[in-house]
Amino acid sequence: MAATMSAISAKAAGGYRTAPALVSWKGSRAQGRSLISMAAAPRSLRLVSLRTPRFRVYAAKAETVNKVMEIVKQQLALGAEAAAAVTPESKFTDLGADSLDTVEIVMALEEEFNITVEEDNAQNITTIQEAADLIDKLVA
Amino acid sequence: MEEEEAGVRRWLVDVAHWRPSPAQFDAVVALLPSHERPAIARFVREDDRKRALVSRLLHYSLVHHVLRIPFRQINICRTPEGKPYLQKNGSALPNFNFNTSHQGDYVGIASEPFCLVGLDIASVSKPQGETASEFISNFSSYLTHHEWNYIVRAGTPSQVLTEFYRYWCLKEAFVKAIGAGVGFGLQRIEFHHEQWTNISIHIDGGVSNKWRFWLFKLDEMHLASIAKGHPEDAVSSYKKTLSNATVAEEQLHSALESPEEAFTLWTVEQLTQLLELME
Repeated sequence: MAATMSAISAKAAGGYRTAPALVSWKGSRAQGRSLISMAAAPRSLRLVSLRTPRFRVYAAKAETVNKVMEIVKQQLALGAEAAAAVTPESKFTDLGADSLDTVEIVMALEEEFNITVEEDNAQNITTIQEAADLIDKLVA
Repeated sequence: MEEEEAGVRRWLVDVAHWRPSPAQFDAVVALLPSHERPAIARFVREDDRKRALVSRLLHYSLVHHVLRIPFRQINICRTPEGKPYLQKNGSALPNFNFNTSHQGDYVGIASEPFCLVGLDIASVSKPQGETASEFISNFSSYLTHHEWNYIVRAGTPSQVLTEFYRYWCLKEAFVKAIGAGVGFGLQRIEFHHEQWTNISIHIDGGVSNKWRFWLFKLDEMHLASIAKGHPEDAVSSYKKTLSNATVAEEQLHSALESPEEAFTLWTVEQLTQLLELME
Protein backbone atom coordinates (compact mmCIF):
# COMPACT_ATOMS: atom_id res chain seq x y z
CA MET A 1 0.00 0.00 0.00
CA ALA A 2 2.75 2.39 0.98
CA ALA A 3 4.63 1.56 -2.20
CA THR A 4 1.56 2.35 -4.32
CA MET A 5 0.97 5.60 -2.49
CA SER A 6 4.52 6.80 -2.98
CA ALA A 7 4.43 5.85 -6.67
CA ILE A 8 1.35 8.00 -7.11
CA SER A 9 2.77 10.80 -5.01
CA ALA A 10 5.99 10.76 -6.97
CA LYS A 11 3.99 11.29 -10.15
CA ALA A 12 1.96 14.02 -8.51
CA ALA A 13 5.12 15.77 -7.48
CA GLY A 14 6.12 15.96 -11.09
CA GLY A 15 2.92 17.67 -12.05
CA TYR A 16 2.13 19.86 -9.11
CA ARG A 17 3.57 22.68 -7.13
CA THR A 18 1.97 22.83 -3.71
CA ALA A 19 0.37 26.27 -3.71
CA PRO A 20 -1.70 26.00 -6.88
CA ALA A 21 -2.79 22.46 -5.99
CA LEU A 22 -4.14 23.69 -2.65
CA VAL A 23 -6.08 26.46 -4.32
CA SER A 24 -7.72 24.04 -6.74
CA TRP A 25 -9.04 21.65 -4.11
CA LYS A 26 -12.69 21.89 -3.35
CA GLY A 27 -14.15 21.33 0.11
CA SER A 28 -10.89 20.07 1.50
CA ARG A 29 -10.08 22.96 3.79
CA ALA A 30 -9.24 20.75 6.74
CA GLN A 31 -6.62 18.86 4.80
CA GLY A 32 -5.44 22.07 3.24
CA ARG A 33 -4.79 23.58 6.59
CA SER A 34 -2.80 20.62 7.78
CA LEU A 35 -0.70 20.70 4.63
CA ILE A 36 -0.02 24.41 4.92
CA SER A 37 1.28 23.77 8.39
CA MET A 38 3.64 21.23 6.91
CA ALA A 39 4.87 23.52 4.14
CA ALA A 40 8.23 23.81 5.77
CA ALA A 41 8.67 20.05 6.00
CA PRO A 42 10.88 18.14 3.57
CA ARG A 43 9.10 17.30 0.37
CA SER A 44 9.01 13.53 0.77
CA LEU A 45 7.35 13.79 4.19
CA ARG A 46 4.68 16.11 2.82
CA LEU A 47 3.93 13.71 0.05
CA VAL A 48 3.64 10.69 2.27
CA SER A 49 1.07 12.47 4.41
CA LEU A 50 -1.02 13.46 1.42
CA ARG A 51 -4.65 12.63 1.81
CA THR A 52 -7.03 11.39 -0.85
CA PRO A 53 -7.95 14.86 -2.24
CA ARG A 54 -4.52 15.27 -3.81
CA PHE A 55 -4.76 11.86 -5.38
CA ARG A 56 -8.21 12.82 -6.63
CA VAL A 57 -6.93 15.96 -8.31
CA TYR A 58 -4.17 14.06 -10.11
CA ALA A 59 -6.54 11.28 -11.14
CA ALA A 60 -9.06 13.85 -12.31
CA LYS A 61 -6.53 15.14 -14.79
CA ALA A 62 -5.94 11.73 -16.37
CA GLU A 63 -9.62 10.99 -15.96
CA THR A 64 -10.50 14.22 -17.76
CA VAL A 65 -8.23 13.36 -20.66
CA ASN A 66 -9.71 9.89 -20.93
CA LYS A 67 -13.27 11.17 -20.79
CA VAL A 68 -12.55 13.77 -23.45
CA MET A 69 -10.98 11.04 -25.58
CA GLU A 70 -14.08 8.89 -25.22
CA ILE A 71 -16.39 11.74 -26.14
CA VAL A 72 -14.30 12.63 -29.17
CA LYS A 73 -14.04 9.02 -30.34
CA GLN A 74 -17.78 8.64 -29.99
CA GLN A 75 -18.58 11.92 -31.70
CA LEU A 76 -16.35 11.09 -34.65
CA ALA A 77 -17.45 7.44 -34.74
CA LEU A 78 -13.86 6.25 -34.98
CA GLY A 79 -13.33 2.62 -35.88
CA ALA A 80 -11.07 0.42 -33.77
CA GLU A 81 -7.95 1.10 -35.84
CA ALA A 82 -8.39 4.87 -35.80
CA ALA A 83 -9.37 4.88 -32.13
CA ALA A 84 -6.12 3.10 -31.26
CA ALA A 85 -4.13 5.91 -32.89
CA VAL A 86 -5.71 8.64 -30.76
CA THR A 87 -3.40 10.35 -28.27
CA PRO A 88 -3.98 13.40 -26.05
CA GLU A 89 -2.02 15.41 -28.59
CA SER A 90 -4.32 14.36 -31.45
CA LYS A 91 -5.83 17.29 -33.27
CA PHE A 92 -9.56 17.01 -33.82
CA THR A 93 -9.11 17.80 -37.51
CA ASP A 94 -6.55 15.01 -37.86
CA LEU A 95 -9.16 12.64 -36.45
CA GLY A 96 -11.48 13.71 -39.23
CA ALA A 97 -13.56 16.37 -37.47
CA ASP A 98 -15.22 18.92 -39.71
CA SER A 99 -16.73 22.25 -38.62
CA LEU A 100 -19.95 20.58 -37.47
CA ASP A 101 -18.04 17.97 -35.47
CA THR A 102 -15.96 20.54 -33.61
CA VAL A 103 -19.09 22.41 -32.52
CA GLU A 104 -20.68 19.16 -31.36
CA ILE A 105 -17.56 18.07 -29.50
CA VAL A 106 -17.51 21.33 -27.54
CA MET A 107 -21.24 20.97 -26.81
CA ALA A 108 -20.78 17.38 -25.64
CA LEU A 109 -17.93 18.45 -23.36
CA GLU A 110 -20.04 21.28 -21.93
CA GLU A 111 -22.80 18.80 -21.18
CA GLU A 112 -20.55 16.11 -19.73
CA PHE A 113 -18.61 18.43 -17.44
CA ASN A 114 -21.36 20.95 -16.80
CA ILE A 115 -19.34 23.93 -18.00
CA THR A 116 -19.76 26.77 -20.47
CA VAL A 117 -17.03 27.29 -23.00
CA GLU A 118 -16.68 30.84 -24.32
CA GLU A 119 -16.46 31.15 -28.08
CA ASP A 120 -12.87 32.37 -28.15
CA ASN A 121 -11.86 29.51 -25.86
CA ALA A 122 -13.72 27.06 -28.08
CA GLN A 123 -11.64 28.13 -31.08
CA ASN A 124 -8.42 27.49 -29.15
CA ILE A 125 -9.36 23.92 -28.33
CA THR A 126 -7.80 21.96 -31.15
CA THR A 127 -6.53 18.86 -29.34
CA ILE A 128 -7.80 16.47 -26.68
CA GLN A 129 -5.20 17.71 -24.21
CA GLU A 130 -6.20 21.35 -24.76
CA ALA A 131 -9.83 20.44 -24.12
CA ALA A 132 -8.94 18.55 -20.93
CA ASP A 133 -6.78 21.42 -19.71
CA LEU A 134 -9.56 23.95 -20.25
CA ILE A 135 -12.09 21.68 -18.57
CA ASP A 136 -9.93 21.18 -15.51
CA LYS A 137 -9.41 24.93 -15.30
CA LEU A 138 -13.14 25.60 -15.53
CA VAL A 139 -14.10 22.83 -13.13
CA ALA A 140 -11.53 23.74 -10.48
CA MET B 1 -14.93 18.67 -72.98
CA GLU B 2 -17.21 21.68 -73.36
CA GLU B 3 -15.83 25.11 -73.97
CA GLU B 4 -15.30 26.70 -70.59
CA GLU B 5 -14.96 30.35 -69.75
CA ALA B 6 -11.31 31.08 -69.09
CA GLY B 7 -10.43 30.05 -65.57
CA VAL B 8 -13.89 28.81 -64.57
CA ARG B 9 -13.97 25.17 -63.45
CA ARG B 10 -16.26 22.97 -61.39
CA TRP B 11 -14.72 19.53 -60.91
CA LEU B 12 -15.90 16.65 -58.81
CA VAL B 13 -14.39 13.29 -57.86
CA ASP B 14 -16.40 10.42 -56.42
CA VAL B 15 -13.83 9.00 -54.03
CA ALA B 16 -16.11 6.20 -52.87
CA HIS B 17 -15.36 4.55 -56.19
CA TRP B 18 -11.61 4.84 -55.77
CA ARG B 19 -10.30 2.00 -53.66
CA PRO B 20 -6.52 2.03 -54.08
CA SER B 21 -4.18 -0.53 -52.64
CA PRO B 22 -1.57 0.98 -50.28
CA ALA B 23 0.94 0.88 -53.16
CA GLN B 24 -1.45 2.64 -55.53
CA PHE B 25 -2.20 5.25 -52.88
CA ASP B 26 1.50 5.89 -52.31
CA ALA B 27 2.08 6.16 -56.06
CA VAL B 28 -0.40 9.02 -56.26
CA VAL B 29 1.09 10.71 -53.20
CA ALA B 30 4.47 10.50 -54.93
CA LEU B 31 3.15 12.64 -57.80
CA LEU B 32 2.68 15.60 -55.47
CA PRO B 33 5.38 17.87 -54.01
CA SER B 34 6.93 16.29 -50.93
CA HIS B 35 5.77 19.06 -48.56
CA GLU B 36 2.20 17.89 -49.14
CA ARG B 37 2.87 14.41 -47.75
CA PRO B 38 2.80 15.14 -44.00
CA ALA B 39 -0.44 17.03 -44.53
CA ILE B 40 -2.00 13.87 -45.95
CA ALA B 41 -0.35 11.36 -43.59
CA ARG B 42 -1.45 13.09 -40.41
CA PHE B 43 -5.06 12.03 -40.89
CA VAL B 44 -5.80 9.04 -38.73
CA ARG B 45 -8.60 7.59 -40.85
CA GLU B 46 -7.92 6.08 -44.25
CA ASP B 47 -10.95 7.79 -45.78
CA ASP B 48 -9.73 11.15 -44.55
CA ARG B 49 -6.26 10.50 -46.01
CA LYS B 50 -7.90 9.59 -49.31
CA ARG B 51 -9.96 12.77 -49.37
CA ALA B 52 -6.95 14.89 -48.39
CA LEU B 53 -4.91 13.34 -51.21
CA VAL B 54 -7.59 13.83 -53.85
CA SER B 55 -8.14 17.37 -52.64
CA ARG B 56 -4.49 18.19 -53.27
CA LEU B 57 -4.49 16.27 -56.52
CA LEU B 58 -7.30 18.53 -57.67
CA HIS B 59 -5.34 21.64 -56.69
CA TYR B 60 -2.36 20.75 -58.87
CA SER B 61 -4.17 19.23 -61.81
CA LEU B 62 -6.61 22.13 -62.04
CA VAL B 63 -3.92 24.80 -61.86
CA HIS B 64 -1.96 23.03 -64.58
CA HIS B 65 -5.04 22.45 -66.72
CA VAL B 66 -6.19 26.07 -66.53
CA LEU B 67 -2.97 28.07 -66.34
CA ARG B 68 -0.63 25.69 -68.16
CA ILE B 69 2.03 26.14 -65.49
CA PRO B 70 4.53 23.25 -65.55
CA PHE B 71 3.76 20.96 -62.65
CA ARG B 72 7.09 21.36 -60.88
CA GLN B 73 6.62 25.13 -60.88
CA ILE B 74 3.22 25.10 -59.24
CA ASN B 75 3.61 26.49 -55.75
CA ILE B 76 0.50 26.21 -53.62
CA CYS B 77 0.72 27.84 -50.21
CA ARG B 78 -1.73 28.53 -47.41
CA THR B 79 -2.66 31.70 -45.57
CA PRO B 80 -2.45 31.69 -41.76
CA GLU B 81 -6.14 30.78 -41.76
CA GLY B 82 -5.39 27.73 -43.93
CA LYS B 83 -6.72 28.99 -47.27
CA PRO B 84 -4.76 27.52 -50.22
CA TYR B 85 -3.66 29.90 -52.95
CA LEU B 86 -1.29 29.90 -55.90
CA GLN B 87 1.91 31.73 -55.27
CA LYS B 88 3.71 33.65 -58.01
CA ASN B 89 0.74 33.62 -60.27
CA GLY B 90 2.26 35.25 -63.32
CA SER B 91 -0.61 34.22 -65.52
CA ALA B 92 -3.06 36.28 -67.49
CA LEU B 93 -5.59 35.63 -64.72
CA PRO B 94 -4.11 37.54 -61.77
CA ASN B 95 -7.12 36.99 -59.50
CA PHE B 96 -7.32 33.29 -60.31
CA ASN B 97 -8.46 31.55 -57.15
CA PHE B 98 -9.87 28.16 -56.25
CA ASN B 99 -11.46 26.31 -53.39
CA THR B 100 -11.80 22.62 -52.59
CA SER B 101 -14.19 20.78 -50.35
CA HIS B 102 -14.57 17.18 -49.33
CA GLN B 103 -17.30 15.37 -47.50
CA GLY B 104 -18.66 11.87 -47.66
CA ASP B 105 -18.16 10.37 -51.10
CA TYR B 106 -17.08 13.53 -52.89
CA VAL B 107 -14.14 15.84 -53.26
CA GLY B 108 -14.67 18.92 -55.40
CA ILE B 109 -12.88 22.01 -56.63
CA ALA B 110 -14.11 25.29 -58.04
CA SER B 111 -12.06 28.04 -59.67
CA GLU B 112 -12.73 31.55 -60.93
CA PRO B 113 -10.58 34.14 -62.74
CA PHE B 114 -12.04 37.37 -61.29
CA CYS B 115 -14.49 36.78 -58.42
CA LEU B 116 -13.74 34.96 -55.25
CA VAL B 117 -15.17 31.47 -55.24
CA GLY B 118 -16.06 29.18 -52.39
CA LEU B 119 -17.27 25.59 -52.52
CA ASP B 120 -18.73 23.43 -49.81
CA ILE B 121 -19.97 19.88 -50.04
CA ALA B 122 -22.24 18.51 -47.35
CA SER B 123 -23.19 14.97 -46.65
CA VAL B 124 -26.80 14.96 -45.46
CA SER B 125 -26.24 12.21 -42.96
CA LYS B 126 -28.65 11.27 -40.20
CA PRO B 127 -27.16 12.16 -36.84
CA GLN B 128 -26.19 9.23 -34.69
CA GLY B 129 -27.78 8.83 -31.29
CA GLU B 130 -29.93 11.96 -31.52
CA THR B 131 -32.92 13.24 -33.43
CA ALA B 132 -32.65 15.76 -36.26
CA SER B 133 -34.03 18.45 -33.94
CA GLU B 134 -31.52 17.67 -31.22
CA PHE B 135 -28.71 17.66 -33.74
CA ILE B 136 -29.50 21.00 -35.36
CA SER B 137 -30.12 22.71 -32.03
CA ASN B 138 -26.38 22.34 -31.39
CA PHE B 139 -25.86 24.90 -34.12
CA SER B 140 -28.70 27.30 -33.40
CA SER B 141 -26.35 30.10 -32.36
CA TYR B 142 -24.78 30.05 -35.82
CA LEU B 143 -28.08 30.62 -37.60
CA THR B 144 -30.25 33.72 -37.59
CA HIS B 145 -33.90 33.71 -36.51
CA HIS B 146 -34.93 34.15 -40.12
CA GLU B 147 -33.03 31.03 -41.19
CA TRP B 148 -34.04 29.04 -38.15
CA ASN B 149 -37.72 29.64 -38.93
CA TYR B 150 -37.31 28.18 -42.38
CA ILE B 151 -35.45 25.16 -41.03
CA VAL B 152 -37.87 24.18 -38.29
CA ARG B 153 -40.84 24.58 -40.62
CA ALA B 154 -39.31 22.46 -43.37
CA GLY B 155 -41.45 19.41 -42.63
CA THR B 156 -40.33 15.92 -41.71
CA PRO B 157 -37.17 15.42 -39.66
CA SER B 158 -35.39 14.47 -42.87
CA GLN B 159 -36.51 17.67 -44.58
CA VAL B 160 -35.55 19.73 -41.54
CA LEU B 161 -32.10 18.17 -41.62
CA THR B 162 -31.66 18.86 -45.33
CA GLU B 163 -32.81 22.45 -44.89
CA PHE B 164 -30.31 22.91 -42.10
CA TYR B 165 -27.49 21.52 -44.26
CA ARG B 166 -28.41 23.89 -47.08
CA TYR B 167 -27.94 26.93 -44.86
CA TRP B 168 -24.79 25.51 -43.28
CA CYS B 169 -23.31 24.62 -46.65
CA LEU B 170 -23.91 28.16 -47.98
CA LYS B 171 -22.35 29.72 -44.91
CA GLU B 172 -19.30 27.54 -45.27
CA ALA B 173 -18.94 28.38 -48.96
CA PHE B 174 -18.98 32.11 -48.19
CA VAL B 175 -16.49 31.90 -45.32
CA LYS B 176 -14.17 29.77 -47.43
CA ALA B 177 -14.46 32.13 -50.42
CA ILE B 178 -13.28 35.11 -48.39
CA GLY B 179 -10.52 33.09 -46.75
CA ALA B 180 -11.73 33.55 -43.18
CA GLY B 181 -10.74 31.02 -40.53
CA VAL B 182 -12.76 29.15 -37.92
CA GLY B 183 -13.42 32.31 -35.96
CA PHE B 184 -15.80 33.87 -38.44
CA GLY B 185 -19.17 34.49 -36.81
CA LEU B 186 -21.56 32.50 -38.97
CA GLN B 187 -24.52 34.21 -37.34
CA ARG B 188 -23.39 37.47 -38.99
CA ILE B 189 -24.53 36.18 -42.36
CA GLU B 190 -28.09 35.42 -43.38
CA PHE B 191 -29.31 33.79 -46.55
CA HIS B 192 -32.45 34.74 -48.43
CA HIS B 193 -33.89 32.83 -51.34
CA GLU B 194 -36.92 32.00 -53.42
CA GLN B 195 -37.22 28.26 -52.96
CA TRP B 196 -33.47 28.03 -53.14
CA THR B 197 -33.06 30.08 -56.31
CA ASN B 198 -31.92 33.69 -56.38
CA ILE B 199 -29.98 33.07 -53.21
CA SER B 200 -28.61 36.25 -51.69
CA ILE B 201 -26.67 37.13 -48.58
CA HIS B 202 -27.12 39.71 -45.83
CA ILE B 203 -23.94 40.51 -43.95
CA ASP B 204 -24.19 42.18 -40.55
CA GLY B 205 -27.76 43.11 -41.28
CA GLY B 206 -27.23 44.65 -44.72
CA VAL B 207 -27.94 43.03 -48.06
CA SER B 208 -24.91 42.52 -50.27
CA ASN B 209 -25.37 42.60 -54.03
CA LYS B 210 -21.77 41.59 -54.65
CA TRP B 211 -22.33 37.93 -53.97
CA ARG B 212 -24.22 35.13 -55.68
CA PHE B 213 -24.91 31.64 -54.42
CA TRP B 214 -26.05 28.34 -55.88
CA LEU B 215 -27.04 25.05 -54.36
CA PHE B 216 -26.66 21.71 -56.10
CA LYS B 217 -27.92 18.28 -55.27
CA LEU B 218 -25.08 15.90 -56.12
CA ASP B 219 -27.06 12.81 -55.19
CA GLU B 220 -29.55 11.67 -52.55
CA MET B 221 -27.02 12.12 -49.77
CA HIS B 222 -24.89 15.04 -50.87
CA LEU B 223 -25.35 18.69 -51.68
CA ALA B 224 -22.90 21.35 -52.75
CA SER B 225 -22.91 25.12 -52.60
CA ILE B 226 -21.04 27.67 -54.67
CA ALA B 227 -20.35 31.20 -53.49
CA LYS B 228 -19.07 33.83 -55.93
CA GLY B 229 -18.27 37.35 -54.89
CA HIS B 230 -16.31 40.56 -54.96
CA PRO B 231 -12.59 40.27 -54.16
CA GLU B 232 -12.88 43.35 -51.92
CA ASP B 233 -14.59 41.11 -49.35
CA ALA B 234 -11.58 38.82 -48.98
CA VAL B 235 -10.02 38.88 -45.52
CA SER B 236 -6.77 40.84 -45.50
CA SER B 237 -4.41 37.84 -45.29
CA TYR B 238 -6.07 36.35 -48.34
CA LYS B 239 -6.52 39.59 -50.24
CA LYS B 240 -2.75 40.03 -50.25
CA THR B 241 -2.39 36.87 -52.33
CA LEU B 242 -4.56 38.24 -55.12
CA SER B 243 -2.56 40.28 -57.55
CA ASN B 244 -5.38 42.46 -58.65
CA ALA B 245 -8.09 42.88 -56.08
CA THR B 246 -9.47 45.78 -58.08
CA VAL B 247 -11.62 44.29 -60.77
CA ALA B 248 -13.45 46.35 -63.36
CA GLU B 249 -17.05 46.55 -62.23
CA GLU B 250 -18.46 45.41 -65.58
CA GLN B 251 -16.18 42.38 -65.61
CA LEU B 252 -17.18 41.49 -62.08
CA HIS B 253 -20.86 42.00 -62.73
CA SER B 254 -20.86 39.78 -65.80
CA ALA B 255 -18.83 37.16 -63.93
CA LEU B 256 -21.34 37.18 -61.10
CA GLU B 257 -24.30 37.00 -63.42
CA SER B 258 -23.00 34.16 -65.58
CA PRO B 259 -25.02 31.01 -64.98
CA GLU B 260 -23.61 28.13 -63.03
CA GLU B 261 -22.61 25.07 -64.99
CA ALA B 262 -22.92 21.54 -63.72
CA PHE B 263 -19.90 19.86 -62.18
CA THR B 264 -17.61 17.78 -64.35
CA LEU B 265 -16.97 14.36 -62.90
CA TRP B 266 -13.35 13.19 -62.95
CA THR B 267 -11.84 9.95 -61.79
CA VAL B 268 -8.57 9.80 -59.87
CA GLU B 269 -7.05 7.92 -62.79
CA GLN B 270 -7.91 10.74 -65.20
CA LEU B 271 -6.37 13.31 -62.87
CA THR B 272 -3.16 11.35 -62.42
CA GLN B 273 -2.92 10.92 -66.19
CA LEU B 274 -3.16 14.70 -66.47
CA LEU B 275 -0.26 15.09 -64.06
CA GLU B 276 1.78 12.35 -65.69
CA LEU B 277 1.34 13.94 -69.11
CA MET B 278 2.99 17.06 -67.83
CA GLU B 279 6.27 15.28 -67.15
